[in-house]
Amino acid sequence: MANYYDIDDIIMEQQLVPVVFQKAVNGVEIDPSAETDYVEAGSKVELPLWLAYELHLKQVVKMKVPACFNHRTKLELGADGAAVDLRSRCLYFYEFGCKIAPLIGDRDMGSFLLSAFRTRYQQILAKAHNAAFTAPSKLLSFLTKEETNLYEAAQSSMAAFKKWRIGGPRFERASVLGRKRKSTD
Amino acid sequence: MAGQTDPSLSIFSGEEVEFMAEDEMVEIVPNMRMDPLNMLCGDFGPFYPQMATQVPLWLAIAMKKRGKCTIRPPEWMSIENLTRILEAERDSQAAFQVLPFHYVEISSLLFEYAPDDIPDIYMVRSLINDIRDVRFHKVETSLESFEEAHSSAVMVKDLSAMEVNLVRPFVGRALQAFYKHGSPELVPNPDGMSARRLQATDNIPRIDWNKFYIAYRLLSHAL
Amino acid sequence: MDSGLDSGLDSGSTEDYETDVELLKRAWRQEKSAPEILQFESALVRRIVEQIQLMEETVEEFTDSGIDPLTVSLYQMDLDRTQFLLRSYFRIRLQKIEKYMFHIRDNAESHLSEKEKVFVERCCADLQTHLEKSVLLQLPSTYQSVFRQSSEKETDMVPRPHLDTFVVCKTNASQRPLDEPFEMEPNVLYFVRYKAVKKFVEEGKIDLY
Repeated sequence: MANYYDIDDIIMEQQLVPVVFQKAVNGVEIDPSAETDYVEAGSKVELPLWLAYELHLKQVVKMKVPACFNHRTKLELGADGAAVDLRSRCLYFYEFGCKIAPLIGDRDMGSFLLSAFRTRYQQILAKAHNAAFTAPSKLLSFLTKEETNLYEAAQSSMAAFKKWRIGGPRFERASVLGRKRKSTD
Repeated sequence: MAGQTDPSLSIFSGEEVEFMAEDEMVEIVPNMRMDPLNMLCGDFGPFYPQMATQVPLWLAIAMKKRGKCTIRPPEWMSIENLTRILEAERDSQAAFQVLPFHYVEISSLLFEYAPDDIPDIYMVRSLINDIRDVRFHKVETSLESFEEAHSSAVMVKDLSAMEVNLVRPFVGRALQAFYKHGSPELVPNPDGMSARRLQATDNIPRIDWNKFYIAYRLLSHAL
Repeated sequence: MDSGLDSGLDSGSTEDYETDVELLKRAWRQEKSAPEILQFESALVRRIVEQIQLMEETVEEFTDSGIDPLTVSLYQMDLDRTQFLLRSYFRIRLQKIEKYMFHIRDNAESHLSEKEKVFVERCCADLQTHLEKSVLLQLPSTYQSVFRQSSEKETDMVPRPHLDTFVVCKTNASQRPLDEPFEMEPNVLYFVRYKAVKKFVEEGKIDLY
């Protein structure tokens, strides 16, 4: 369930979606450089997902496939998934894909995202554990937000384990814990 | 107390896993007399010099620190057994040997607090480190292919507490992603968007928010 | 240690050979692992608190009557360990309450202890007042809700626990998680979606790790 206050979710919904207006609309200034406040039917603009969604529901606009899910990206991901710089295409690639799929009627999106994630996830895993304390590799700069989270999850639990193993004073009692609850000081 | 975790990251800290391991029973040989201890966590003793008895690891370590006993390393920590386990771990790509659930923590605590009670400690330590490394490596390898199983669950047979804890944040997240992308919600459904939405109320008073909001407001008026 | 745990968490049956401390440890582990707040173990906590008080008195007596310091310090450690478990158990529950206060107040209040109920009411009232005073009351009336974005919608602004979280768990007897195409073997650890095993966790048939 999406969390209303989830900052990632909020930013994700700011992703631009290409839309085509199905109706002419008055009193709207979509393009600041335009001289009129009028949008013709057939106009193509990019709107943030949250806005495009509302207009889509009202059948004012029709959504197009965003560039990050176009045919070329799909081919590239299919050829060598781990080498594609998804971060620059869409930081919220997977989340955006999940949201947009039903709206653009893309039935293959799920399996496409899944197979992209699968190939890339293996790379992340290998890097995360091997490069535990070395400088982040080029791979990192290619990762989407979720992939980065995944990488960091793996790294931080490995680091936490190493820290535990090296040890240190165990179970030091905070001075407040030693006091008896009943003592009335 | 130290070592509490942020619940959103990993569930248990290394110290908390160790805390659980400290309740495992070990055999000690006291060098003094002491009455039975009737504790919250159980009854132990009585203690007589040279008479072996079972106590939880934390109690054993506490007595050991004060020079009141020696600790008998558990049988699985013998060189013969560890050598056999290491070979078997190396022989099998997939299966894990059966070790105590807390073998990492127990051995680590004994190395730290009772080094003089472990015969051939250098050998034992290096065997356990090797076993742990081989197993960790195997865990990683198996993770790389785990989506071939049903992606909605993964069996982690014979993994130890520390190993499970180590992979938990990563595996949990990855599985969630697998699950999400394989979910039926991705088939077309115009009401699928359940997140934050602006409401389409009429007569919304003027508020200077941002460009998109104004555009939206005007549009909903225009319709 | 964790083999052969019984499901009778709160029954206090006399045949149960486990100590209350072991039951508390199990409750603590479940609470830490579960994404949502579980049923408060009221009977168990009551017994543990009594035992802690008794033990505190005993340790005090020992100290006063000159029992050897080693014995006293060992009892003190036992006490410290139990108190750690109890405090951590309370703390993780409070964290969940703070995180999901509105959801818990409206849907899971029966899972709380009396004190937690008071706490959740206070939390909700304070947060709501704060949000209203600082922002919401300045907004048009249709935007003033803390809970929903529009009047005809469900409470879509309320943070809820994520039940699709994957948890590590184990069953004592073969168990088929809900909506999952496989059977869980006994005494083997699995990563499974919490939602699929929630019912069994509540019934004490599946243990979280």
